[in-house]
Amino acid sequence: MALSNGVCLVSEIVIDALYKKYKPGLFKKPVEAVAGLSLRVPKGTVYGLVGPNGAGKSTTIRMLLNLIRPDKGEVRIGNKSISAVANADFLQAVGYLPENPYLYDHLTLRELLRFAGKACGMTAEQIATRIEALTRQTGIAHALKRRLHTFSKGMRQRAGLCFALLHDPELVILDEPMSGLDPLGRKMVCELILELKLQGKTVFFCSHILSDTERLCDRIAILDQGRLVREFEAEDLLAFRAGKRSLEDEFVAAVGGTH
Amino acid sequence: MCWRRVGINCLMLLVVLPLYLMLQGTSWEQRVEVRRTSPTGYTLPAAFSRVLAMGYQGLLSDYEFLRAMTFYGDRSVKQQQMSTEDWDFFAYSLDVVTDLDPYFLDPYVLGEGLLTWDTQRYEAANTLLRKGMQYRTWDWQLPYYIGFNHFYFLRDSATGSDYMMQAAEIPGSPGFLKTLAARLAYYGGKSQTGVLFLQQMLAETNSEALRQRMGKRLLALQGAVQIEDALQQYRNAEGADPQALSELARSGYLEELPQDPYGGQWVILQNGRVYSTSKFVDVKSENQVN
Amino acid sequence: MLQRVWALAMVTCKEGIRDRSLYGVLLFALFVLGLNVAVAGFFMRDLGKVTVDMNLAALSFAGLLLVFFIGINLMAKDIDKKTIQLVLSKPFSRGEYIFGKYFGLVLLVLSTMALLLVFSSATVAGVHSMYPAYFEGFSWSVFFWAVAFIALQLALLCAIVVFFSAITTSSFITLIFSMATYLVGVTLEEVLFYLKSQAAAGEVVASESLRSVLEVVAWLVPNFAAFDLKTEAAHGLALEPLRLLTTAGYGFSYILLLLWLATLIFRRREFN
Repeated sequence: MALSNGVCLVSEIVIDALYKKYKPGLFKKPVEAVAGLSLRVPKGTVYGLVGPNGAGKSTTIRMLLNLIRPDKGEVRIGNKSISAVANADFLQAVGYLPENPYLYDHLTLRELLRFAGKACGMTAEQIATRIEALTRQTGIAHALKRRLHTFSKGMRQRAGLCFALLHDPELVILDEPMSGLDPLGRKMVCELILELKLQGKTVFFCSHILSDTERLCDRIAILDQGRLVREFEAEDLLAFRAGKRSLEDEFVAAVGGTH
Repeated sequence: MCWRRVGINCLMLLVVLPLYLMLQGTSWEQRVEVRRTSPTGYTLPAAFSRVLAMGYQGLLSDYEFLRAMTFYGDRSVKQQQMSTEDWDFFAYSLDVVTDLDPYFLDPYVLGEGLLTWDTQRYEAANTLLRKGMQYRTWDWQLPYYIGFNHFYFLRDSATGSDYMMQAAEIPGSPGFLKTLAARLAYYGGKSQTGVLFLQQMLAETNSEALRQRMGKRLLALQGAVQIEDALQQYRNAEGADPQALSELARSGYLEELPQDPYGGQWVILQNGRVYSTSKFVDVKSENQVN
Repeated sequence: MLQRVWALAMVTCKEGIRDRSLYGVLLFALFVLGLNVAVAGFFMRDLGKVTVDMNLAALSFAGLLLVFFIGINLMAKDIDKKTIQLVLSKPFSRGEYIFGKYFGLVLLVLSTMALLLVFSSATVAGVHSMYPAYFEGFSWSVFFWAVAFIALQLALLCAIVVFFSAITTSSFITLIFSMATYLVGVTLEEVLFYLKSQAAAGEVVASESLRSVLEVVAWLVPNFAAFDLKTEAAHGLALEPLRLLTTAGYGFSYILLLLWLATLIFRRREFN
């Protein structure tokens, strides 16, 4: 049940030579978090971003969402620069799950999800059916009336997923979606991502868990120190899945030397 | 491990808790003594307290007023004479209270009730009341008090009448004010003025402590009025003052000399007013302190 | 746009209303109201004034506690704990976020004030009926006007909280800055007029430069004393309609300007 509000259908996403520097403290030296990163995420693919801690994965994702702005370079949707597209229209087509999402403590899950729906301009019936379906799929339908501060880490992660997906976005951006989940939860997230792929959505996520990434993605990029180190396409992934090569070995080979 | 925990619990229950209970009581007793012997309170000048009140000037004025009243009440319950410094503090407190909220009626009433009768600070009382008149323009009581002070204490009938007339012109003032002004002018400094005034104050006060004080003073003044009346008759008949006031009773002008409820001896002042050696203040307490 | 602002306001308000500390604030206010009944008898005449003083103080102080200890968390915690990333990933513009949060805060303050006003009115009516003779100047309409202006004062404070949340990174700094602004705003008038009267009397010459500094500050910081009708309510003094209108206009325009400025700054902010 796609909400075709007619806004900005997400086509290919191009990340073009992004740079971002940080000052970790007021009087500290700036650190380069992303240094000349270029990526292409075709529509309908599942794109995985892997890399050691501090590789610039989250920063890239936040620049994509306009939460932070690049120093240099730009993000394009199709051939339009993201700064030329109205932010609200773009966000209408995006669902985002932050790393370790912190939700409102005193709201119930249903209230939180209703808020997400209203923020995206959905009607009350649309919201109700969508809440029903999503919470059942993620396995937290029993907790709809509970306050969020009573949730465990895994439940919080699932609630965050529901929050991100409620308006059925075209582009789904997930920051460490598996973190804090038990094996069942991981399996659930994997199935969810595959289903999104079947629906023709674009999924862009970063993860530490190489085995899941290898299994789910159409493309994988390894990031290190803000740069793209390796990118794997369809034939590489076939080789991974057939067991001829392993992503882990490639990862260690690509990143290990520098650490 | 376990024994140590039991030991700590025992220590707390058997030593520290009793120690606390004991010291708590002692500390409070100490405070009573500290407060009793502390010479006078201190009230922050209004220029500071208006700022420090952070927008709660009204509430602060209530608190400061309560503090001044408690201070006075404390001394009078313990039968301690208010020293000059005590009265300074008291008068200053009322001044600050009325700077914090110049519309507050109570400090003016209390100031009139105590600053004049108890410590003869007529000018302080009048200044306070004049400040109130600037703000409480609808209130006839303040000019009425000033008028009374002029008649009774300052013996300035002209100014007194002025204020009485001002009071009478304020809408809502009682009708008797106009005639009262005339009667006060007639009695001037006589005790009858005080009786009239106190009766009026008494009718308007609900504070039990103050009512008692005023009642006692009224009784004393009524005694003085009785003696003054008899004295006048004596003078009219005999053409001279009696040697002693006891002669009034002996020669039948009075059935008996009324008692001064404060325990003093009646005397005739130079100006012909009858007064008491007690100065209408409890004699016993004065002896106790001095 | 309105739907989004309203949705965020409701969520913010609910989050505040369900905060346990709210019970503490309410209990405090009720305690003061109870104290009022107990203390009223200590005074001689002006029981009406004392009662109104204590009621308005209870309302406004409870409001301050509410804004400083619950309100600040509602916005600053969003940024502290990065919940804002979640919210801003929905189609909120930065301005909508600012206004949504602001209206949520104001909604929280207004609903709490409304509840407290019910209790407060009952207290005033109760003391009034206990001592009917000592409420000569009392007027319900002035009392309600004073409460309305306390609410406006708190709405102004909410705008200040939102502004500082928008430009700082931690809720503690927001708390310190908003408290400082409040303290300056509430005492500024008194100090300024005092200095002016001193200067007029030719007493303190050294404070000339201080005075000009304070006059500049008076343009930046709202004069909270202008919204204070406590004395008028305590004595039932007449209120000029023009004064009410001017003060309300002053307050609302300051709120709008501050929120606009907050939006401008917030638009440039990055959320790591």
